[in-house]
Formats: sequence, C-alpha cells, structure tokens
Amino acid sequence: MTETFGALLHGFGVALTPLNLLWGLIGVTLGTFVGVLPGVGPALTVAMLMPITVKLDPTGALIMFAGIYYGAMYGGSTTTILLNTPGESASIATALDGNQMAKRGRAGPALATAAIGSFVAGSIATILLTMLAPVVVEIALKFGPAEYFALMVFAFVTVAAVLGQSTSRGLTMLFVGLLLGLVGIDEQTGQQRFAFGVPELLDGVDVVVLAVGLFAVGEALYVAAYSSRQREEMERLTGSLMMSREDWRRSWPAWLRATAIGFPFGSIPAGGAEIPTFLSYATERKLSKNPEEFGKGAIEGVAGPEAANNAAATGVLVPLLTLGIPTSATAAILLAAFQNYGIQPGPLLFQTQPDLVWALIASLYVGNVLLLVLNLPLIGLWVQVLKIPKPLLYGAILVFATLGAYSLHQSVVDLLTLYVFGLLGFGMRRWGFPVAPAVIGLILGPLAETQFRRALSISQGDPSVFVTHPISAALFAMTAIILLTPMAVRAYKRLRAGR
Amino acid sequence: MTPSGRGARVDVILSLGVIALGIAAAVVAFSLPSAGGYSRIGPNVMPIVISIGLILLGAVLLIECMTGGWRARTPDDPAERGEHAFLPGAFGWVSAGLFAQVALIHTAGFVIAAGALFACVARGFGSGRWGRDAAIGLLLGLGVFLFFVRFLNVNLPAGWLHPLLGGAGL
Repeated sequence: MTETFGALLHGFGVALTPLNLLWGLIGVTLGTFVGVLPGVGPALTVAMLMPITVKLDPTGALIMFAGIYYGAMYGGSTTTILLNTPGESASIATALDGNQMAKRGRAGPALATAAIGSFVAGSIATILLTMLAPVVVEIALKFGPAEYFALMVFAFVTVAAVLGQSTSRGLTMLFVGLLLGLVGIDEQTGQQRFAFGVPELLDGVDVVVLAVGLFAVGEALYVAAYSSRQREEMERLTGSLMMSREDWRRSWPAWLRATAIGFPFGSIPAGGAEIPTFLSYATERKLSKNPEEFGKGAIEGVAGPEAANNAAATGVLVPLLTLGIPTSATAAILLAAFQNYGIQPGPLLFQTQPDLVWALIASLYVGNVLLLVLNLPLIGLWVQVLKIPKPLLYGAILVFATLGAYSLHQSVVDLLTLYVFGLLGFGMRRWGFPVAPAVIGLILGPLAETQFRRALSISQGDPSVFVTHPISAALFAMTAIILLTPMAVRAYKRLRAGR
Repeated sequence: MTPSGRGARVDVILSLGVIALGIAAAVVAFSLPSAGGYSRIGPNVMPIVISIGLILLGAVLLIECMTGGWRARTPDDPAERGEHAFLPGAFGWVSAGLFAQVALIHTAGFVIAAGALFACVARGFGSGRWGRDAAIGLLLGLGVFLFFVRFLNVNLPAGWLHPLLGGAGL
C-alpha cells in the first residue's frame, strides 16, 4: 500500500510538470470540443485526435490521451442533454431525463449534475483504480499464456455476445474483426496471410483506419442518407447553472451508488458502460420517493447514469493497463495509441516503465479536476459548438477523419480502405450489427493468437493445458455459461410453450 | 414482428454473405502452410478456426431468418427509426467527396483535396452554397496543412499550391 502511494506520488511529480500539465489541459479541452460534436463519440474522438500527438514523448502523449478520453465523455453528455442525440450507447440512459430537464428549462442543473457527478465518480473510480491495479498486476504476473488466452476469449465473448442487441450479430462482427486481424505477416513464421501480395496489406489493417471508417465515414454516409434533412431542436440553456440545495441532496446518493455500480462493471474484463448506466437508472427509479418523475426530468436520472458512465470508463482502464485487454471500442483505440509508441500494456509495464504508468494514473486525477474547473465556465462555448450546421460539421469531421487515416502512411490505399470500411459501417448501422466487437477483435485477435500458440508450444502441442490450469479452466467455464445460459433458457421456454 | 417480404429477403442475403465470407476465408486458410516451427501450431490454425466460425455464424443468422426473422431486428421502415427515407443523392455526394479527395490529394495537394471533400459532403447534407462551402473547406485544409507541416513536421502533399506554400511538396 505504501509502495503504491510512493509510486503514485512520483507519478504526480511527473504529471504535474508544467509541460505535462499543458498536454493534459490541451487534451481535456480538445477532447471536450470534439466530444461535444453531435455524432462523434469518445472512440472516434480519440482516433481523430491521434495524429496530433506524433511529436510528443510517450508520457506526454499518454497524458494527453487520458485528457482526451475523459474530455470526450464529458462533451458527449453536454450534447446528449441539450440535443437528445446520444453519441454512444452509454449515453442513452442520460438522454431520457437529461433532455426532459432541458425541455423544462432546467438544462443548467442537468449539465451541472452531469459534470460534478462525473468528477465525483471519476475521482473515486481513479482511487479504486490506484488501489486495484497493483493487486491485479500481482495476480496477472502469475498468468501464463493459457490463462491469458482464456481471459481474452472471455473478454471476446462478453463484449460480443452479452453487450449488443443480438448475440449472433455481435459474434459475427467479432469474427469479422478477428479475420481482419489476420491480414498481414504472421509474426511467428513470417508467413503472409490474407494480404494477396498487396504491399500495403502486409502491415495489417490499422485499428485507427477501421475505427474511423466505421465510426466517421459509416456514420456520415448513414446520417446523410437517412437523417440529414431531419430538423433537430436544441434546447436552450436558460437560467442558472447552479444546482439548488434540493438538487444536491438528490444527486449525491445517486452519484455514489452509480460509482459502486459502474466501476466493477468496467473493471471486469467484460467491459462496456452501457449496462451499468441502465442499471444505475433503474436503481435510482426504484429507490426514488417520486418514481413518477422519471422520464419527465428527474435529476437522479441524469446524475446516476452519468456518474456510472464515468466510473465504468475509468474501470475499463484496469484491464487495459494491467492485462493489456481492451473491453470497449475506445479502449481498443487507446491500446492502438500505446502500441504506436511501442508500449504494450500489461503487468510487465508496471515493472519496466513504472514512471509512465503512474504518471498516466496521476494524470487521471488531474484530468478530472481540470474538467470540473474548465467545463462549467466554458459551457457557453460548447453550446456554440453545438450550433454548427450539419453540412459544415460533417464536412469538417470527414476532413479530420481522412487526415488521420492518410497521415499514417501517406497512402491513398488507406483512404480507399477507409471508404470500404465506411460502407461496411453504413451497413452495420442499418442492419443493427455492433461496432465494438469488430474493433476489439481486430486489435486483440493477434494478441490472443500469440498466447494460444505460446501456450501450446510450452505444452508441446497438448491442448489440455487450457482445461488443466485451474484459472484458465474456470474462465472457459464462465465463458460457456455466459454464452449458453440465454440459449438454454430460450430453448426451455420454447419447450414449455410448445407443450 | 416478422419482417415484411423485402426486408426478410435482405436478411437472407446478408446471412448468405456471412457464409460466403467464411467460405472464401476458409479457401485461403486451407491453402496456408501448416508448419508451425516451435509452437507446433502453424499460421493456418487460427485462420481455419475463424473462417469456420464465420460459416457457422452465417448459418445461425440464416436459421434465425427462417424461424421468425433476426432477433432484435432494426426496423425497415425509416419512420419507425425516427428517420426519413433513404436519399441516394446524399449518399452519392458524400461518396463523391471521398473519391474526389483520393483523386486530388497526390496531384492538386492536400488543401485542394480537403476543399473538394468538404464541399461535396456539405452538398450531401443539403447545403446549397457551393462557394461558401468550398471556401470554408479550403481554409480548414490550409489551417490543418500549416499546423501539420510547420508545427508537427508531418509531411502532407502541397501539390499545385507548392509554389505558394513551399515546404513539403510531393
């Protein structure tokens, strides 16, 4: 414990140097600015802002990314409350009552409870992350390749099968992502796979190109074709931003409960902030003395989901940093950013580069404070950003999105690949296929394959390693239960209904 | 809940498409060498597993089509999704913008390509002001160009504007 405290203190020393503080500040501001843009979720924000960090040292760049990550989420809730267009699935719960509050002239308190709730939840979750990370690292250091492989399969299945609307479509997208992950040169044998002799494909498919293609190009095509002529009404920000005593009294418990719900959900390698936000919404409605207010602008309905979202987003960093396993699309892109600097997150990172890891964790505390201090005063600016007309907004989004893909290799092939992924993203949106499993499959697939082959080379080709190692066996059993239970329940119901 | 004729047909086509993708991947996977060196697991094992997985998932989707349609299906009627009918023109303009950028970026340069992309996308989103949109796009492209080339030292093609912008030409 004292060791952790010392490491964290040292981390603050690095994070609070003027230059790193500046990168954090820029990250938070840019992240919020881009995150506020309607239709731009946190994953796309991080992907689009990746090129601007090329000049920074790894520590500075990661501190900036942490700021962008938090800022993007904060910005997203502003859009959700004022415009009722959730930029990501985790904001849908906030949209229910947030937009209703805004419609009733209470946009100020709604934004305030979202901001302060995000700060409270984010800070508590960061403290929990600080305490939990060394423990997980301790356990993870004992993991062999078999355990890692089992853990990755577990993460794959929960992300693809449990989080979406449909298990079959979620798994389909996971396998499409895994297939894309195979493209390029096999690291262990030098064998070309699925590259068809195209030199640009030998390096593999870049996660940024896939994410930007699906999120930016696919989204632009979809919105242009299906909702560009729709009128959208923005709620006006009237009255004070201040929360009344009554608002505070009702928000506090919601923030704390939501943190308790959001952090564990984020930190198990099953990921996703969607379930905890809805869970928090349901909890608040159940515990509220006036449940009839929900859906008509209950402040707990904003305070809870927003805090849960932030706590879960911080929780997601636990498996990302300690195990190297991303469990959300945004985390997958953060992992890609790490990899660009030759850094592979995982337990070893805490031993080989403790300065970098702890500076990053310290910067999360700093980022939370910066967001609280910056954002409520700047709310007028964000409202102006929301007023950008759609034609100009999407024009700019695509200029930056294509820039991100092009600047990777200065290659037109990347731009064409981007368009192909855009078409794919359009189809996925239209027919209800989730994006996150594809992105996670692409980046995690090659790592899972490496662990799989390592495990089998240690066991000299004996596949029973995966079931004789207790941790790996337990993880596979849990995966099977998660995957098969809903099917069994359905089959049982059908059987009874048929009788 | 059962989708109407046309929507159901699309689902069948998409399910078959997933199966076809799996089969195509399997053909490639089975042509890969199996020699695995130390790990004993060759570079063909994962590709085979993944392609078979895709074929199976396509089959599951197909079975869903025949037993009451895909689960939690996205409604076919745009009004039900809170959207308007598909606008081919809008889709076309956004696509045209992206292709214009591909065509222009290595000849006319980044700034002009960005202007063309911006103007076409804005047109796709219903803007009727070509001149204004192109001007904003060019200015945005110029700003990005200068920031990247002068400040971040990332090379972007200056193209036709090379005499004006100097620096990085491609």
